[in-house]
Amino acid sequence: MQSWRRKSLWLALLASWLLGLLGILPLLRLVVPTGPRAGAPQGWPRWLDAELLQSFLQPGELPEDAPQLRRAPRGGSCDWGACFDTSKCRSGGFKVFVYPAAELISEMQHKILASIEGSRYHTVSPTEACLHLLSLDAPAGACSLVPPKWNGGKNHLVLRLHPASCSATFQLGQAMVAEASPTVDTFRPGFDVALPLLPEAHPVRGGAPGQLRQHSPHPGAALLALAEERGWRVAGTDSSACPWDGHCEQDHGPEQTHPGAALPNATFCLIPGRHADALRFLQALQAGCIPVLLSPRWELPFSEVIDWTKAAIVADERLPLQVLAALQEMPPTRVLALRQQTQFLWDTYFSSVEKVIRTTLEIIQDRILGASAHPSLLWNNPPGALLALPTFSTSPLDFPFYYLQQGSRPAGRFSALIWVGATGQPPLKLIQAVAGSQHCAQILVLWSNDKPPPPSWPETAVPLLVIEGHRKVSDRFLPHSAISTDAILSLDAHSSLSTPEVDFAFVVWQSFPERMVGFLTWSHFWDEAQGRWGYTAERVNEFSMVLTSAAFYHRYYHTLFTHSLPKALRRLAEAAPPCVDVLMNFLVAAATKLPPIKVPSGRQHEDASSPRVPGDLEPAAQDCIDRVAAEFGHMPLVSSRLRLDPVLFKDPVSVLRKKYRGLEKP
Amino acid sequence: MCASVKYNIRGPALIPRMKIKHRIYYITLFSIVLLGLIATGVFQFWPHSIESSNDWSVEKRSVRDVPVVRLPADSPIPERGDLSCRMHTCFDVYRCGFNPKNKIKVFIYSLKKYVDDSGVPVSNTISREYNELLTAISDSDYYTDDITRACLFVPSIDVLNQNTLRIKETAQALAQLSRWDRGTNHLLFNMLPGGPPDYNTALDVPRDRALLAGGGFSTWTYRQGYDVSIPVYSPLSAEVDLPEKGPGPRRYFLLSSQMALHPEYREELGALQAKHGESVLVLDKCTNLSEDVLSVRKRCHEHQVFDYPQVLQEATFCVVLRGARLGQAVLSDVLRAGCVPVVIADSYILPFSEVLDWKRASVVVPEEKMADVYSILQSIPQRQIEEMQRQARWFWEAYFQSIKAIALATLQIINDRIYPYAAISYEEWNDPPTVKWGSVSNPLFLPLIPPQSQGFTAIVLTYDRVESLFRVITEVSKVPSLSKLLVVWNNQNKSPPEESLWPKIRVPLKVVRTAENKLSNRFFPYDEIETEAVLAIDDDIIMLTSDELQFGYEVWREFPDRLVGYPGRLHLWDHEMSKWKYESEWTNEVSMVLTGAAFYHKYFNYLYTYKMPGDIKNWVDAHMNCEDIAMNFLVANVTGKAVIKVTPRKKFKCPECTAIDGLSLDQTHMVERSECINKFASVFGTMPLKVVEHRADPVLYKDDFPEKLKSFPNIGSL
Repeated sequence: MQSWRRKSLWLALLASWLLGLLGILPLLRLVVPTGPRAGAPQGWPRWLDAELLQSFLQPGELPEDAPQLRRAPRGGSCDWGACFDTSKCRSGGFKVFVYPAAELISEMQHKILASIEGSRYHTVSPTEACLHLLSLDAPAGACSLVPPKWNGGKNHLVLRLHPASCSATFQLGQAMVAEASPTVDTFRPGFDVALPLLPEAHPVRGGAPGQLRQHSPHPGAALLALAEERGWRVAGTDSSACPWDGHCEQDHGPEQTHPGAALPNATFCLIPGRHADALRFLQALQAGCIPVLLSPRWELPFSEVIDWTKAAIVADERLPLQVLAALQEMPPTRVLALRQQTQFLWDTYFSSVEKVIRTTLEIIQDRILGASAHPSLLWNNPPGALLALPTFSTSPLDFPFYYLQQGSRPAGRFSALIWVGATGQPPLKLIQAVAGSQHCAQILVLWSNDKPPPPSWPETAVPLLVIEGHRKVSDRFLPHSAISTDAILSLDAHSSLSTPEVDFAFVVWQSFPERMVGFLTWSHFWDEAQGRWGYTAERVNEFSMVLTSAAFYHRYYHTLFTHSLPKALRRLAEAAPPCVDVLMNFLVAAATKLPPIKVPSGRQHEDASSPRVPGDLEPAAQDCIDRVAAEFGHMPLVSSRLRLDPVLFKDPVSVLRKKYRGLEKP
Repeated sequence: MCASVKYNIRGPALIPRMKIKHRIYYITLFSIVLLGLIATGVFQFWPHSIESSNDWSVEKRSVRDVPVVRLPADSPIPERGDLSCRMHTCFDVYRCGFNPKNKIKVFIYSLKKYVDDSGVPVSNTISREYNELLTAISDSDYYTDDITRACLFVPSIDVLNQNTLRIKETAQALAQLSRWDRGTNHLLFNMLPGGPPDYNTALDVPRDRALLAGGGFSTWTYRQGYDVSIPVYSPLSAEVDLPEKGPGPRRYFLLSSQMALHPEYREELGALQAKHGESVLVLDKCTNLSEDVLSVRKRCHEHQVFDYPQVLQEATFCVVLRGARLGQAVLSDVLRAGCVPVVIADSYILPFSEVLDWKRASVVVPEEKMADVYSILQSIPQRQIEEMQRQARWFWEAYFQSIKAIALATLQIINDRIYPYAAISYEEWNDPPTVKWGSVSNPLFLPLIPPQSQGFTAIVLTYDRVESLFRVITEVSKVPSLSKLLVVWNNQNKSPPEESLWPKIRVPLKVVRTAENKLSNRFFPYDEIETEAVLAIDDDIIMLTSDELQFGYEVWREFPDRLVGYPGRLHLWDHEMSKWKYESEWTNEVSMVLTGAAFYHKYFNYLYTYKMPGDIKNWVDAHMNCEDIAMNFLVANVTGKAVIKVTPRKKFKCPECTAIDGLSLDQTHMVERSECINKFASVFGTMPLKVVEHRADPVLYKDDFPEKLKSFPNIGSL
């Protein structure tokens, strides 16, 4: 009890003290004049009569401001609406005419002309063309010639890959200018096109792949590389602020300076804003080194469509310390994203002259298309705008590449497309097997035979449609309008599949909608002895192609096959039928940069002898892969060493537990 | 104070146990304390109310009472705007050096009333909108009242509408601002530039280097990357309540609602209407309205009267034609109605075009092509139109609907130029919230197969099972692609064995001692990890063959953004209990792999340690369980992809595997694991795990093929 009392007494005392303190403080505050309260932000005052203030719009002024008529473009200034006539492009499609080269032709000009002439937009008739292309990289003297169909420069694109070449002597009129690293001040956004500054030795086709071998920077890699007159100077991670002033050169030995064309090995590449350094920009991109541009005086290449904030940092050269601190503190997530984007952009738009030219044409075509142009997403995400055609769709959801970004997944149905070639026998067994799949939406028979198709077809649970083909092998990859689903199961009349095989393969495809999922595989190899590419149908531990005689893939690849392949390649496919398989695999691999997917097939042996598999390959077929690779300019095929099986495939467990037990028949 | 209050609460419970006299004593004491407290409270708040009312009278002044500044007729006038200005030439970025957290600081000059020599005001003091704009800036994080630390200065001189001001005198007023300095780092807001007869597309007030946030720029006057193109605010945004109308087909395909159009444009619109009939509606001013009806809110077609802006919701496309000025307030009304604007105004720089992707929300048609507008619009697929309608409404909500939204977007754009490494991305500017929520952006999006030569780092988490640990080390060291072995010694009470006792292996072996016995130590991004591929392996996983591990690494190379593991698990929805259930039976599906043996990218260690949502990381450490499930959730959530289970099922020595053998059913373990799934699903706000029906095997697995020719023959042996 005593302690109780004592405790409460103490508490009471404490409380009264508290009381006293609390009481006195405000009193003190009343006595001491506070004046303007220091520290507290004052802010913009709340006016007493704020409600009475007048609107900035005087009544009657808007929307009734005085009407005015369109104005003619001021002398010399042009923009898309005023100086380009789209009427020609709408009727005849986007056709490009190139003026034949003058006698003095530079190496680069030759490359440009070659890549335009190989493109699907090229036309030889100037009257049919919607865009006239004039290359101005000829040495001085050849410039003053005004081309025959000049028409004041309307619908002309003047290509200038080297900023210096004969600019002043030439009256541009209403022509657009596609220039390498144009000065910001003279560049007309939405009308001119900014090109990258290419080295003289830039390859026409294919081009060197990006240097990035891993997603995240190696922990030992340098943070910074600085572009210098003769190469790159790599600064160590520890040297903090020095790359700007010249004083660091003593710290790093001469071995740190890479002369010439060597690519920098660092996380960030500092590039001064001078024109001369524009060349470094491409090097950094190729190296997967994130370009940090210090107040560039030139417009970034293809800035109209490429979102450079995803791949580079444009910083102010006057705040070097802040920039450096920001780079050092940049979260790994951002570094990772920027690095990968540099590689994607390099590989997609910059690695060859052909890609640069195609991108330029694609930009102009997008302007003509207006609302049906590539959405920004298509330009800035793999596989890029050259492989995602807006003529197919402008909705990212229709393509196989963007399901995840759109928070969506492929629909659960497929269309079977059965190609009936020379045999001319209706594949009744196959039709039944495919129609038995719960995911099958329709069966299309592509009748490519001299005989007329039989009048009656078996009763199936799903609609069956016969399409008459033109008896060309590439018929099977036409974007037939009858195909109603995203997924296609491509089949040959002689293919044999069971319903569980089809079911399982389709479920796998839904996880990999951008790839081809097939049963039978080929693999390519480099034939050291003959110095060329070859391929084999023999069973080996890896593969890089799946046969389209039984494969799932997205219907977009039909559009890509039909509309994006150069004519030369399509002719090749007609000449040697096995080549269509190679071509299709090349195309998908070029778009995805990934191998196809193999699923188990119960009938390895009988298929190995089928006529379309080059068991003992005839020369034309064996030749095919080498020629396709040459046309592509590089080898896009990627090998895989795995096969996707059902989870319980051949596991020692009761077969009744297994969903795809039909796959395990010996 | 808090303590005494607490005591008061506890008081009454104690009272009955005391003697009477004590009780009286205490009651008196407490009442005194209580009274005192009340008195203090009153005392505390009373003087405050005086003070704040004082403040109130100081701040709440009238606009009419602001100080008057007389401008001498010969006071200096700034140069005209410099068309070649860019951020790196005309903007003094050094002033922004003080600003912390990558945020610019903005100072607002106090309001003055400017009069000329003869006492005639230069302009209206301030408009309602400009007052709102300055209030918005003042309330934002950008604001500073310290002029010496400011990076951007906003004059309180209102130039929103050029028609209400005297150009020369306004320029003089600007020039005498205390930090004017040729207009460097000064930001002017103007929505209605130019005046009759030629209506320039930028503010005519000479302003030297000042930045201009202008509504109605043309390509000739807009300084790309320096000026900011802003919308013309529509007062109807605040006046009229217009509930959102979902996208879809509407009564009119194309509608024109502007009143003052050039006769030639009206003629062309009339021709369109004549050609396409009902689907095109061209509205004009009403001529026969009674006096009391607000003419701004009505539109007429012949004798039909329509409510404006409600009628805009009846159309799919709405024409926004140039008037005297390029920028039209009708654009804001059209966007709000979810009508896709058809902008016909050559050379017009659309609002915030530096960051907003107008292709997604509008159709721009050259003036010359006006006659073809109908066919151009008809070629747009219905799905794209609906997307554009949604996007239009979202642009209005985010950047048009209030003066505040316009002001903050403008400052954000300038902020992003100054701190580009902290800039807001295209997606953040342009994606509507519903898209942002559903989409996944894979952090390892580049399709890339890392070279085999890189190898992997094995991380073994161990406590004290040294014998078993040594066996694991010996087994793992046989894998050809192993490049380093890291042992995480999680036992603080016991030192790891002496160096000489460890197995001798061909790759570097490092032991990391941890400060605390936590499961999350397994997923820490140790500096010692030099490879991208990490193999997490328990110290009792001795049953995996070298072929199986090497094959697992090969599979990871083909799927570097996924978890690639051996034992697979599944989550199921329990319909009876309405919650998630953990499943380890022999199922046909997989949605998780155990990290007792799994390959993954080391970036996920960084994410696990620093970016795990909610309290999951601590929760796992406290419960000493489910770190693997948490990792599965994390990876599936950021990549949107399923795990890859490799190789056939094996008997693993782990608590739940004994269940399958039927020896003992560890029921509590399963319950705990199910709880983890439910807990994580609620923290993530979604179920990110993806169910698949496949696993990865070597190409020739179980094929009728000579074993010695197979790359990975020793797979699946028990």
